[in-house]
Amino acid sequence: MRTFQAFATVFLGVLIATASLQAHHSFSATYDGNKPITLRGKIVKLGWQNPHAHLYVDVTNADGKVVTWEVESAGPTTLMKQGLRKEDFVGQEVIIKGFLAKDGTPTVNASSFTLVDAKKEFVNDDKTQTP
Amino acid sequence: MRRWAVAAGMGFALTLAAPAETLAQTRPDFSGTWRISQSKSSRNVFGNTPDIQFPSQLDVKQSATDIAVTATSVRQQPVSATYKLDGSKVNVQSPAGITETGEAALNGSTLVITSRRSFSSPAGDVVVDFKEVWSVNGNELTVEKTRTQVGDTPSTQKAVYDKM
Repeated sequence: MRTFQAFATVFLGVLIATASLQAHHSFSATYDGNKPITLRGKIVKLGWQNPHAHLYVDVTNADGKVVTWEVESAGPTTLMKQGLRKEDFVGQEVIIKGFLAKDGTPTVNASSFTLVDAKKEFVNDDKTQTP
Repeated sequence: MRRWAVAAGMGFALTLAAPAETLAQTRPDFSGTWRISQSKSSRNVFGNTPDIQFPSQLDVKQSATDIAVTATSVRQQPVSATYKLDGSKVNVQSPAGITETGEAALNGSTLVITSRRSFSSPAGDVVVDFKEVWSVNGNELTVEKTRTQVGDTPSTQKAVYDKM
């Protein structure tokens, strides 16, 4: 029984470590540096977890079709240092500047985003700029 | 009379030679293999959240009329072009799915490359304009790059490359 518990603990540990490594991927592995993009839309959902917060943003295309984009941002700690709380996102209009995912899905890595009502640009490191 | 003619001839030859020599001295040479320097470049060109992506290496071959540039980055497809230095438009060899044209011209001691890149995305077609200003100082190449896109304010970042 003890052996089973030990195996289960190790297995769980490996699963958690793998998930964490997958979440913390490098920019160059996932995103295309040759494809910068700027999006404007409304935040409909927030994933407030480490190592990256994820914003889900409804963007209306030129043809009127709404596409929900997954936006990888800095982690909650970095965002909180810039004065943001998790309550500040959903329902807000946002302008995102970043790079497209290599796999062609509506996924983007945000180098910065601007909450339109707050008129403040949040850069994905510790520097904050105001337009 | 003969001495006067020789002196005049020499003077004329010097007059012709001087601008060519001056041109050769002021014409910058960007040839070589250049590797990006993390310590000398802007913070926002590195890491998981670059503001503007810069290639990690530039291979440059320059002649009197052309400059050939191959830009490579880790895990990214290379981008290359042979620009005419008269500023005429050329096609840039970009990864699949990207169309890009560009032009280059020497402006004093700097090289100015402007390009327009377009590609499709789930948000529709995207068009991005870039302007790069290159300056060389010994074994250091500085590239100042401005990215402009519809619906966005232009942003500029600087990267410094060391000659290999």
